[in-house]
Amino acid sequence: MANVATRNSYQNNNIILGIESTAHTLGVAIVSDNPPYILADVRYKYVPQKGGILPREVAQFFSLNAGRAVSEALEQAGLDPRELDAIAVALGPGLGPALRVGATIGRALATHLRIPLIGVNHAIAHLEIARALTGLLDPVFLYVSGGNTTVTSHVGGYYRVFGETLDIALGNALDTFARESGIAPPYVKGGRHAIDYCAENGAFIEELPYTVKGQDVSFSGLLTASLRALKKGYKIEDVCYTFREIAYSSVVEVTERGLAHIGKKQVLTTGGVAASDLLNWKLEKMSEAHNAKFKRIPKRYAGDNGVMIALTGLLSLKYGVGIVEPRRAYIRQRWRLDRVPVPWFPDTIPLWRYTVNA
Amino acid sequence: MLSNKILNWIATLPLLSRGAESELRLGELYNTRIVFKFRRPKNYMDPSLDRLLRRKRTFKEAKIIVEARKYGVRSPAVLLFMPELFLIGLEYIDGITLKEYLEREGDKAVPLAAEAGRMIGILHKHCISHGDPTTSNLILSSRNGHLYLIDYGLADYTCSIEDLAVDLHLFRRAVRSTHPQYEDTLYSHFLQGYRSVLGARSKDIEDRAQLIELRGRYVEERRTVWQRHEDYGSH
Repeated sequence: MANVATRNSYQNNNIILGIESTAHTLGVAIVSDNPPYILADVRYKYVPQKGGILPREVAQFFSLNAGRAVSEALEQAGLDPRELDAIAVALGPGLGPALRVGATIGRALATHLRIPLIGVNHAIAHLEIARALTGLLDPVFLYVSGGNTTVTSHVGGYYRVFGETLDIALGNALDTFARESGIAPPYVKGGRHAIDYCAENGAFIEELPYTVKGQDVSFSGLLTASLRALKKGYKIEDVCYTFREIAYSSVVEVTERGLAHIGKKQVLTTGGVAASDLLNWKLEKMSEAHNAKFKRIPKRYAGDNGVMIALTGLLSLKYGVGIVEPRRAYIRQRWRLDRVPVPWFPDTIPLWRYTVNA
Repeated sequence: MLSNKILNWIATLPLLSRGAESELRLGELYNTRIVFKFRRPKNYMDPSLDRLLRRKRTFKEAKIIVEARKYGVRSPAVLLFMPELFLIGLEYIDGITLKEYLEREGDKAVPLAAEAGRMIGILHKHCISHGDPTTSNLILSSRNGHLYLIDYGLADYTCSIEDLAVDLHLFRRAVRSTHPQYEDTLYSHFLQGYRSVLGARSKDIEDRAQLIELRGRYVEERRTVWQRHEDYGSH
């Protein structure tokens, strides 16, 4: 491919279209490295009527809306497709069928427009947008979502994992509990999780296990014990309250251990569960006790979105990494975040100067 | 209240170290130096959960130290146990850490790792994992020249090969990041001591430790492993 940018040839004036399709949200966004940075942000979210997410159904939903999402993004930005400098697409980690939709659009656009295609790691994108939105440039991250529970921080060119879940992810545990106990779907109402409503008048019960092993957490025992407690006749509001209290406290505790171990002085949380008010409150308290700075990211950017993919694509392009030939742009369902070189760190795009609590 | 008086007095003592959950302070009782280990409240937790966890951990730590000493692992004696205050008082071991000793003496200090391996081996034989076996948690007593194992804050009752292997992996990782030039010799001495206790059972645990490293859940040193992976980097 002729038009491959390297760090030397990089001009500080690029416009990138980013595509996110790893799980439930199809996001198409356009980001520029000049203010106001975010030129378009289109999202189509798949919400199951009952049960959980079926990969095949998500993929179908994405395919149906993909064309519309791309043209809406271009319209929002007031751009002609030929004004784009590169396409960024999340190639993983995520659900195979869902990832394939995004990858297909990405390959098609890049090939047709003859511009570079950048493969972005979805997890890295969550970290990058948190840095860009808060201006805390070198934090210890708690990345919590439906598929991830990870304590990570940048050391020596990579984001290193300092703690993670030994079984299921925090978001998955919350959703499964909500579904099995009958309080969901809908999983989220008015920006709050079903368990938050259920826990409102609850009290702590000593019945449920708290599992932190060294730097790692585990949720499967908590999930099983909670459902069993319901069958035994414990009040659902008490089980909801205790489940949530234990789940959130344990991830904050492993973040605390990571913070003490690494010795950094900033804390951020990102990913879908980072929208939780309670989690943010706990992290703030914990950070205070260690004289570390904490800032919450705007709820709108906690969950999956196209902006974070475009933003990370922009940084990759600037530092000449991640560019793939469209025919080789394979999806990677289990792509670990600590395998991706991050040469641009601590550089970023200063979204915090322009995005006021969007 | 008396309990507040005790904690307030302890808070005035010189601080030895402060970790994610507890603080160590050096004091004196009946002419004996004593290390007070106090688990601080975590104000981000529900108070019932916080008290429950601190109580459990205080109990478990004291119990495991007592058992370890019973099995012959040199560890500071538990001199004071006040679970309602989340407080343990431990014997003060006068000396320097293995880490400092290695930095000062170099090669001469390496054979001491066998003693460390033997102590971890005894714990494992009795289904106890230490959870944090680093060269900073081994103290060479200036009184009798013996090595002492300290900080059982992350110790646990477990006999799963995975959990025990994590101890070996953690020791090796700690050595590699702090004394890279002695990694091989220290670890092989460590294993010698470890095998002398566990015998044939040692093999499975050593193999698993190797696997944990390749799997790379524990990070800092993963780079050497990555380079063997073909999906290294971002394409």
